[in-house]
Amino acid sequence: MVKQIVVCFGVAMVFGVQAQNEKPLIASEFFGDLKARHIGPALMSGRVSDVEMHPTNSQIVYLGSAGGGVWKSIDGGVNFTSIFDKYCQSIGVVTVDPSDPDNTVWVGTGEVWTRNSVSMGDGIYKTADGGKNWTKMGLEKSDRISSIQVDPKNSNIVYAGVLGALWGDSQERGVYKTIDGGKTWNKVFFVNEKTGCSELNMDPSNSQILYASFWEFRRTAHSFNSGGLSSALYKSTDGGASWNKIHTGFPSGKLGRIAVTIAPSNPQIVYAVIESEKADQKGLYRSDDGGQNWKFLNGDFGLTVRPFYFSRITVDPKNSEIVVKAGLSGSISRDGGKTFKGLGSMHSDIHDIAFDPTNSDKIFVATDGGLYRSLNKGTSMEMIENLPLSQFYHVSADDKEPYFVYGGLQDNNSWFGPSASPGGIEARDWELVGQGDGFRVYPHPTKPHIVYSEMQGAEAVWRFDTKDQQLKVIKPYPVSGDPKLRFNWNAAITTSKHNPDRLLIGSQFLHISNDMGNSWTKISPDLTTNDKTKQNQVESGGLSADNSGAENHCTIFTIAESPLNEKVIWVGTDDGNVQVTQDGGKTWSNVTLNVKGLPANTWCYHIETSVFGEGVAYAVFDGHTKNDYSAYVYKTTDFGKTWNSITTKEISTFARNIQEDYKNPNLLFLGTELGLYITLDGGISWSKFENNVPSAAIHYMEMHLKTNDLIIATHGRGIIILDDVTPLQALNSEITTKTLHFFDSKPFTMSEKSSFGGTSSEVQFVGDNPKTDAQIKYVLPKRHTFGKMSMEILDLDGNLITTLQAGKQKGINTVEWGFNRQAPKVAKGKTIAGAAMFAPRVKAGKYKVRITKGNDVFEKEIEVQYDPKSPFTLDERTAQQKVTQQLFDFTQNLAYLVFQIDSWDATIDQFNAKNSAPHKSVQNLNKELDELRDKLVVTKGDNYVGAGEPKLREKLGDIYSSIGSYFGAPSSTQLENIQMLKSQFDEATKQFEKIKIGSLKNFEKELSKNTTVLAPKISSFEEFIKSDK
Amino acid sequence: MKYTILSLAFLFLANSLFSQTIEEIITKYHTAIGGAKWTSVKNMLMTANVDAGGMMIPVEVVMMSDGRMYTKINFQGQDIIQGAFDGETVWSTNFMTQKAEKAESDDTENTKRGAKSFPNALLTYKSQGYTPTLLGDETIDGVKCFKIKLDKKTMLSEGKEVPSIEYYYIDAENFVPILTETEIPTGEMKGKIAQTKYSDYQEVDGVMIAFSQASGIKDGMSQNITFDKVLINTTVNEKTFTFPTN
Repeated sequence: MVKQIVVCFGVAMVFGVQAQNEKPLIASEFFGDLKARHIGPALMSGRVSDVEMHPTNSQIVYLGSAGGGVWKSIDGGVNFTSIFDKYCQSIGVVTVDPSDPDNTVWVGTGEVWTRNSVSMGDGIYKTADGGKNWTKMGLEKSDRISSIQVDPKNSNIVYAGVLGALWGDSQERGVYKTIDGGKTWNKVFFVNEKTGCSELNMDPSNSQILYASFWEFRRTAHSFNSGGLSSALYKSTDGGASWNKIHTGFPSGKLGRIAVTIAPSNPQIVYAVIESEKADQKGLYRSDDGGQNWKFLNGDFGLTVRPFYFSRITVDPKNSEIVVKAGLSGSISRDGGKTFKGLGSMHSDIHDIAFDPTNSDKIFVATDGGLYRSLNKGTSMEMIENLPLSQFYHVSADDKEPYFVYGGLQDNNSWFGPSASPGGIEARDWELVGQGDGFRVYPHPTKPHIVYSEMQGAEAVWRFDTKDQQLKVIKPYPVSGDPKLRFNWNAAITTSKHNPDRLLIGSQFLHISNDMGNSWTKISPDLTTNDKTKQNQVESGGLSADNSGAENHCTIFTIAESPLNEKVIWVGTDDGNVQVTQDGGKTWSNVTLNVKGLPANTWCYHIETSVFGEGVAYAVFDGHTKNDYSAYVYKTTDFGKTWNSITTKEISTFARNIQEDYKNPNLLFLGTELGLYITLDGGISWSKFENNVPSAAIHYMEMHLKTNDLIIATHGRGIIILDDVTPLQALNSEITTKTLHFFDSKPFTMSEKSSFGGTSSEVQFVGDNPKTDAQIKYVLPKRHTFGKMSMEILDLDGNLITTLQAGKQKGINTVEWGFNRQAPKVAKGKTIAGAAMFAPRVKAGKYKVRITKGNDVFEKEIEVQYDPKSPFTLDERTAQQKVTQQLFDFTQNLAYLVFQIDSWDATIDQFNAKNSAPHKSVQNLNKELDELRDKLVVTKGDNYVGAGEPKLREKLGDIYSSIGSYFGAPSSTQLENIQMLKSQFDEATKQFEKIKIGSLKNFEKELSKNTTVLAPKISSFEEFIKSDK
Repeated sequence: MKYTILSLAFLFLANSLFSQTIEEIITKYHTAIGGAKWTSVKNMLMTANVDAGGMMIPVEVVMMSDGRMYTKINFQGQDIIQGAFDGETVWSTNFMTQKAEKAESDDTENTKRGAKSFPNALLTYKSQGYTPTLLGDETIDGVKCFKIKLDKKTMLSEGKEVPSIEYYYIDAENFVPILTETEIPTGEMKGKIAQTKYSDYQEVDGVMIAFSQASGIKDGMSQNITFDKVLINTTVNEKTFTFPTN
């Protein structure tokens, strides 16, 4: 251990000096084809915030999600494709322009279902080509946009309902209008800094008539308030120029969130769902005169439940009396709102409902668990299974090969699943290990069947034995003398690198267990500010009490044990404290005030301890719950006595997580609310990494030691893995100036596993597997565009093994090699012998990669090895390789024999064409050759069920590929089969020799008399193999 | 001060680089790949040996300036024709039956409409009545490119006229295309973006040809073909284009 630490320090010093002396190394210049992969999952999907249908083409459906961007279906909702990866993934609303529905679509960012974990938006976007290209059209400070209405007669006139900031006052709220297609916006209606437009509707028959509901609301890290005297419903009849409150029949006093909608088939009918002070006045109201008068209809639970989270009401476009209300389960009325019944079974927490405008029996429903489709107006629901919108709070991984990832999701339990699986990572690969909202899930470090998980506010912390299916609640309980334990909604839990049975859990205290959670000891005092004014969650919610635990505060949020010293433990709290102990919890130092430039009480979201020094740590603070979207990332090397900020202006938003690379201390990964940033120079400069990493909120990352993979937990796009960051670890300014630089690589393992793939249907999401081929990586300082560039694999004697297509882009290039040589040359036939085209694998050993770029030649030695986990012995492999080579040669010998026959046959054809009455001996030769060929290759039929009877070529190909694709020794049956085929070939060869000295000799004599047709010049075997013939 | 002046000069250059009009960019592109010499090009025959996992497959691609074309692939002595167009019919060899089959009528009509776009639709946009628009710049493979949207009017998709759009990404320094994109109009891949990346540009008889072309689906797999030989105005077998009658 001591030696390892010294080595780490040495590396740190080398890299540290480098970082100080050199100019910034801009990482994005060199990302090249380094590309992440998405493994989902989609089986539980994630929160969908808005659904929008094309007004006339029911094939086209859009959805906006809470944290997974915008998706589009062009097949009626069967398959969806992400169309908004580059931009903010938190979506408030998607609106199709009714007068140009095929092309023009607007997206308002910033989800409006304002739960504690909600993200934020960064403006309004527009596409003019159905989602292929997007342009930001302003409203950058809008934070969250609830509604967009486009004038059906004029695409340039657009209204945006801006709900605005959730976490603070803002002037950027209200109704905005553009008359130039979004180039400029005019705020046409504003109430106050606390009250935003939660819904804006346009009368479909008169675009001058608008209804706007305004909501007074505020969330803090420790409270939520819905309602106030400013909440109201307004109407404009002059295109937004003036607005009047329309409350006749409404409850008096404070109002909360108001859902409003117009019946498309009769715009005089307007429905509103009102959150009010008095419980008996909450519910559905209806106006039959365009909002002038309202009548209370219904106060059912389904209508009044959690208005801040469920406030959407939708009317059947063809029937003004059919109304669907979002809610805990969703409910539908067929009598104009008088009575309701629940929608069919689906995931709870319904946020939006969209009717197919051409067939209102078909509806789409947006839930916390993805998108559902119904073909009978909500009676039965089916889930869309290809939307990987899963909202992870955390991720961890085990050491299995392939490793498994573990994590919990917003309202979607806790799970673990593999990072690789035959045929791709499917829904069936994931295992459920927790209920409720899931958060931090860990495998036991040495007992892989033991998994720890938790639900919200540590209401339960479980130890689950997946082998024996034993489930035990192991959370720490208060004991005599303890105050109430305060656990965060997303309570801090971690395992230990030093004691596999150890668990650490944070309430306001740090609790430790050394027996897998059976018993607990407090090893700290209250490490939070213990501010009593922030602990009144029972009052949270405003007009509708909402004490779910989501606002629990003054709690420990992150726990980090040093990988170098188990007595060094860091704690970060949600109220802004950073505390460290160097003696296993006996004494604690509050080092918060040493973090210069950090606003007080900024949530400490993550502390990352370092492998490069006991006193080295990174702290990430998140101020967004105080309406501060700056990134606060600091590094200490002296146990928190001093801190240096390592953020730059390149980071556009707040961060939640940082991950240190375990080999290069200057390589850091930063998880932000708008995606992944990477620095190669210890934070002097940061670059956004966009190669298949969308601008999604990253809540946690883990670096996998064995594989060098960066595992990313996104809150809306599932788990994303950036496989093997070795090239990033190696990048430095010297390398990046070379014409071409090969990266060193560990020996590549030739996997010897086979499978029949997966079982998912065409409409189910399947996560990407990692590559199993050799990954040859190099960096180019400039893209290769002009002149030749080729790539070859050679043995160490310089013999060509195979050719590859070189990568040519600037930065990192990855070329895959499947360890194969070139396939044998196969005899020509009437049909194609697919099996014979098998390209055998190389033997383990060293090989040379050669790239020729113009006149420059670059070479790199690589090594490939057999799969150490394979059951085969070296002798077995040797036997397989020997026989495979024999069959390879056999295939080519057969090809050469057929080539000779074909060459003579072609000459006979020429001869016959020149001679009207060919000699009988020529006819005999022709017949003999045809008969011989007919034994060797298929000469009739097709490549499907009309195929001819397999001949020697086909039988040989079959046994050749069967033996070549299995890595153990051939069976005795196979060897006997080869002997049989060899006998047939020997017999055929003899027959050809007999023809040569018989009919063929006579034909040659005949040709010698003829000057127009010459005997064929038969190439040698070697010439034939090299030729294209 | 010197640094400031140099920086300003650089900024000016950078700005001027990206303040070019669409016409200027297309003209420079045309010049970069041979300019007027393209008018004398009547055909191109390109050959390659594609390495498909160790299996070498000879490929021959022929493009005529009148729009006729074919791709011939040889498997174990069997010629498989793909994407052939004889001026009237688009056809391919069915791999299973090894017999020629006509493409669906939409494909044929769309190919006919594009037949006069040699060497490509962007360079012939005026004669074809297409509309190019400069969308801005975008970095492709680390190269700053001009992104051009080419509106080719409409095409047939499932029997309906739909917009026909192509995107060109022109290297802002060298004025050759690095990438082209188009939306797949029909079938299971409908809506996905088909891409072709170009490299290994070399001069052949005065015109620049991308000897290496990688085609595939955006964010998906692609197949690279590197031509070992490109012949211009060579003799081609006219019969090969023609849809076989039996």
